[in-house]
Amino acid sequence: MEKVIEIKNLTKVFKNGRGITDINLDIHRGEIFGFLGPNGSGKTTTMKIMTGLMKPDSGDVKILGHSVLEDFEKAMEKVGCIIETAESYPYLTAYENLKQFSRYYKNVDDDRINEVLELTGIIKYKNEKPRKFSLGMKQRLGIAAAILSKPEVIILDEPLNGLDVEGMLDMRNLIKSLAERENTTFFISSHLIHDVELTCTHIGILYNGKLLNVDTTRNILNNYASLENYFVSEVETNGKV
Amino acid sequence: MGRFKTALINEIEKLYKRKKLVVALIISFIIIILGQLIILGVNRGFGIRGVGSMEFPMLVLSVVVNTILPLFTALVAIDSFSGEFSNNTMKIALTRPVTRLKFFTAKITAILLFVLFNLLFVMVLSTLAGLIFNANSFTLRGVIDIIVSYLVTLLPMLVLTLVIVVFTNILRSGVGVFFLSIFVFIILKALGMVFSRYSGILFTSMLDWYKLFTISPLPILKIANKFSMMVGYVIILFTTGYYLFDKKEF
Repeated sequence: MEKVIEIKNLTKVFKNGRGITDINLDIHRGEIFGFLGPNGSGKTTTMKIMTGLMKPDSGDVKILGHSVLEDFEKAMEKVGCIIETAESYPYLTAYENLKQFSRYYKNVDDDRINEVLELTGIIKYKNEKPRKFSLGMKQRLGIAAAILSKPEVIILDEPLNGLDVEGMLDMRNLIKSLAERENTTFFISSHLIHDVELTCTHIGILYNGKLLNVDTTRNILNNYASLENYFVSEVETNGKV
Repeated sequence: MGRFKTALINEIEKLYKRKKLVVALIISFIIIILGQLIILGVNRGFGIRGVGSMEFPMLVLSVVVNTILPLFTALVAIDSFSGEFSNNTMKIALTRPVTRLKFFTAKITAILLFVLFNLLFVMVLSTLAGLIFNANSFTLRGVIDIIVSYLVTLLPMLVLTLVIVVFTNILRSGVGVFFLSIFVFIILKALGMVFSRYSGILFTSMLDWYKLFTISPLPILKIANKFSMMVGYVIILFTTGYYLFDKKEF
């Protein structure tokens, strides 16, 4: 299968000693990869390096064969993402925010903007400014922005933050249908272990900045009663609990 | 080039929507009208000739270039950088397929276009006010002087913009950058007055360089000297600003 994301020897250590050390990971087309780990384990740091918001101390990330360090534009051309929090310009309407992003891509017109607003359930707030939005609505707008250009790779850091139950279900269905219908590859970080279990096809566990193990959800559930058990077992095996 | 253009269009849209441009234009308008009323008052009340129609736009420029124009340039530059750093909105564009160099250059260009638009607005309005309220007639040389003076002011404003952009990439707080910019501006102005022999190397003294273009015959060597100095400043400040911006982590 075609490698879509290649992470090689990625290391980034902050002054306080936290960070990530020697992460190696390959993600293939159509996979929904769940990046599991407790707070401060280095999930967001990894994703920030993947999207050019941070530079690593060493190592590299290639997306669709292009290095984010050497050929950023090409690497990000077919990537949509939400990192840490879904941000939008508070003085622009939801439509104007998406219009700003759409200008970077050739295939995005007003119909596509309306389509993603419809898909994420915020079409009726199209002409409202996000400063009046709830956290969940801001998150939906962030997801609309991430999927706007029909990207081949979508990187989502805690995509379910602030969403209600209905929103979580919608989002899970949206992720699954994009992966099935359009073969979109997802890289999702979450601390909601149950949701990762229901959504992701592959799971990697990050603990104290180190990648402990990567396996398919099917394999894990064949060997363990739940993903939670697997997580605890992996962490214990590596002598951390 | 396409990605730079996109980033520039986005920056211009953001600048326009934040309403800073409208406020700047309204204040420029008020200053011109007030200036004209004062001149009329002096003229009629004391019988002293204020300025002729050709001189009024130049008088307005000398006031604007040392007061509201640097002030609004600072506000817009701080908003564009410090504002986006603190609102965490910088990462919106940084995670799109555009390099930091293109994005940084687009931001500077948008600020410069704001300055240009403001200058042109003040030029047209003050010229019209001068024409309507003052007796002297226009000459072609006078019109050319006005246009050239307003246009060449863009260069020292670029230097000022880059100084502020460097500050925004060093200090976290937008308020801090604002006060530091004002402090540096006043200190350099004062230094320019105290050590007038060396004032030529201070960028604050270059805000008035448009006056060189109204002298006849044209002091080409002096213009070339100041121009080179400003280009030097632009290269150093742009490189420093970009270096700091590129190293920033979000």
